[in-house]
Amino acid sequence: MAQFFHRSANNIARISMILGVILAGTAFYVYTQVARSSYLTGRYVEKQQPVQFSHKHHVGDDGIDCRYCHTQVETTASAGMPPTQTCMNCHSQIWADSPYLEPVRASYRDNKPIEWERVHDLPEFAYFNHSIHVAKGVGCSTCHGQIDNMPAVYQENTLQMEWCLACHREPEKFIRPKSEIYNMKWQDADLDAKERLDLKAKYKIRSKEMMTSCSVCHR
Amino acid sequence: MSRNSRTAEVEVINGKVSMKGRRSVFALCLLAFALLTGCGVRFDMQDQPRYKTYKKSDFFKDGRASRDLPEGTVARGLLKDNKAFYTGKIDNPDPNVQVQTTTDPTGNTLVSSFPNDITEFPITVTKDVIDRGQDRFNIYCIVCHGPVGAGDGMIVRRGFVKPPTYHDDRLRNAPVGHFFDVMSNGWGRMNGYAAQISVADRWAIVAYIRALQASQNPTEIMKMNSTSPAKTGETSAAETHGGAK
Repeated sequence: MAQFFHRSANNIARISMILGVILAGTAFYVYTQVARSSYLTGRYVEKQQPVQFSHKHHVGDDGIDCRYCHTQVETTASAGMPPTQTCMNCHSQIWADSPYLEPVRASYRDNKPIEWERVHDLPEFAYFNHSIHVAKGVGCSTCHGQIDNMPAVYQENTLQMEWCLACHREPEKFIRPKSEIYNMKWQDADLDAKERLDLKAKYKIRSKEMMTSCSVCHR
Repeated sequence: MSRNSRTAEVEVINGKVSMKGRRSVFALCLLAFALLTGCGVRFDMQDQPRYKTYKKSDFFKDGRASRDLPEGTVARGLLKDNKAFYTGKIDNPDPNVQVQTTTDPTGNTLVSSFPNDITEFPITVTKDVIDRGQDRFNIYCIVCHGPVGAGDGMIVRRGFVKPPTYHDDRLRNAPVGHFFDVMSNGWGRMNGYAAQISVADRWAIVAYIRALQASQNPTEIMKMNSTSPAKTGETSAAETHGGAK
């Protein structure tokens, strides 16, 4: 084997070469961490909304079902944002003169939608459909986290492609019975691995090859 | 810009690009860059120039990309000519007929006559329909009407006026069309739920309300326990007469 360093190479040259490799490795590691950080993904960043709406109160304290407001989650790609009338179903009577709810009443009076801040903003080259996920046993809290504990909603996961693929490769690690989709208290430990595999077969979830095919999400 | 016009800008002397030509190409590139960035032309794939659900529109005055259907639009297969199914009303309702009402102690206006409502289900009521009704009831109705329809839901405990219970003679004898009408168009302090619950689901909820009423009615339960299975089948067939559209 030929000599690794030439005879004329001094220590500075040797050390700088080794350091160069270490530096490049560190830089790559830092890059991967920064790319996954909440600074770039928006994860865990609470969004301020035009109305101080609290999911913690409405879901956690009042026990209102997700679908009371997000009515289309079982049938369409978008889960559906409630029209102001849905707010007024209760708030025509409860807290009807609270200053906090003035934007809601103004929206109802003037027939102008409330401009909510989008919390989960997928890139537009990614296709996502809520209805297929809830139909195949993916619960709300699997992706959205403990919404019943969020006064202001934030993004629980990175929404990066590696995160989507983690489940598309092994859905049996994340699915639950369809009766528990909207249950915020559901824990993954409530089912064992065997029961999950049975669910995967029962719900006819496709193979890993099909689920990770490009055109499933990029169409 | 076509290739010809671009090369025309560059003066070629003896097969070499002159300094003057280079400078004008550079100036042109700079100008193009300034124009593109200055005008905000961006072709990022994550933010494409098309409307997705709830996206804001700069084109329409009200800023909504999702447009309302023009008035009078009928989607294919949705003429809604099955009046009983879509409105819960009889074929020729009398618009002038006066509905008799009373007022209860909490201030709710109660209907005590139901002149235009259909009395028989316009769908076939099966166990699946009732299960679906239970599922929907527990999303949309339970918040005020409570788990069995006694009017003690969480929102009532938070201060909403208590709705009347399902379990009195007035609502036990009310025709099914009345429940459907109230769900669709609202009554008193209750808003209509037509935007939140589909027509078929509203009928499923009516079926479930009938099941709730039977469950809270001792005489009804005694009747069920004393009749033979064969006879029960007959009654339910009579009750569900009509069939789906």
